[in-house]
Amino acid sequence: MHIPDGYLGPYTCVFFYLIMIPIWYKAFKWLKNLKPSQVPLLGLLTAFSFLVMMYNMPVPGGTTAHIVGGTIIAILISPWAATVSLTIVLLIQALFFGDGGITTYAANVFNMGVVLPFVGYYTYRFLTQRLNLNEIISAGVGAYIGIVTAATVAGIELGVQPSIQPGYCPYPLGVSVPAMAIAHLVTAGPAAAVVTTAVVWYVKKSRPDLFEMRTITKSRG
Amino acid sequence: MDRVTKTLLAIVGVMIILSPIGILLVWNYSDAWGEWDVNTVEQMVGHQLPGMEKLSEVWNHAVLPDYNVPGWEDKLHASIGYIISAIVGTILVVLLYYALVKFTVGKGTSP
Repeated sequence: MHIPDGYLGPYTCVFFYLIMIPIWYKAFKWLKNLKPSQVPLLGLLTAFSFLVMMYNMPVPGGTTAHIVGGTIIAILISPWAATVSLTIVLLIQALFFGDGGITTYAANVFNMGVVLPFVGYYTYRFLTQRLNLNEIISAGVGAYIGIVTAATVAGIELGVQPSIQPGYCPYPLGVSVPAMAIAHLVTAGPAAAVVTTAVVWYVKKSRPDLFEMRTITKSRG
Repeated sequence: MDRVTKTLLAIVGVMIILSPIGILLVWNYSDAWGEWDVNTVEQMVGHQLPGMEKLSEVWNHAVLPDYNVPGWEDKLHASIGYIISAIVGTILVVLLYYALVKFTVGKGTSP
């Protein structure tokens, strides 16, 4: 899901930097709310996100996909925390490992650091609060929908590029969206669901206080 | 350190050691969709992409491109290069994270 330099033209890249400025402002401001006890947790989850993206999985048809870990961070801490983590991870990946890009950095943070954790988190909240479904199962479903949505959005960005400015990503929407969506529907989505379910189950079992605190704030809100 | 933090620390360590799974499992696969280099894309579509050629050149200073030490092509060397990349990347993201926490939370709150 890391769009490399060259796939998006200058207008598209600038557009996503403009979109990300207020989101980055909000996310970094949110970081002040991080409790001292959560500081090492978010650091480790950021490292987890970097590492989990190194686990490429085969996609039928010959390509690969990986999970991101954004919904886990969103559920355990906050979707804004996930934005901060992914902002860090995607910068290091682009600069040191040539994964993703500099011009496409804002678009990649938007997809993996905003769309993915927020869709994952609000799906989880909708299932637990409105439908009263089990928290652990809802976390898995949230992660699945989050990553598939983010991949689809990345596919849309790539697919509209030929109509905005030709000479960059050559594939139209009819090719890029199914390719990105299917890879994540069949491979990364199920993997994200399983990993997120396992992590949330473990944390709920070991640190139920994290979830109880949230329930109290929920009933007040 | 509480139990969750300890377990996560152990998971991060295990993930570094086992990281070569992430390349060995997909050894004969191509890149992720839409992550091919310019030459590959041009070959696939059969024409030049001038914009992509130009923009793809903006950053070629990656120290460990594709999470590997340049030139380490065989499975064993690529696996070692991958573990090195996992260690370097983990250290870098954690350093940047604490720098950011210090910067935004301000002095007085030690991480």
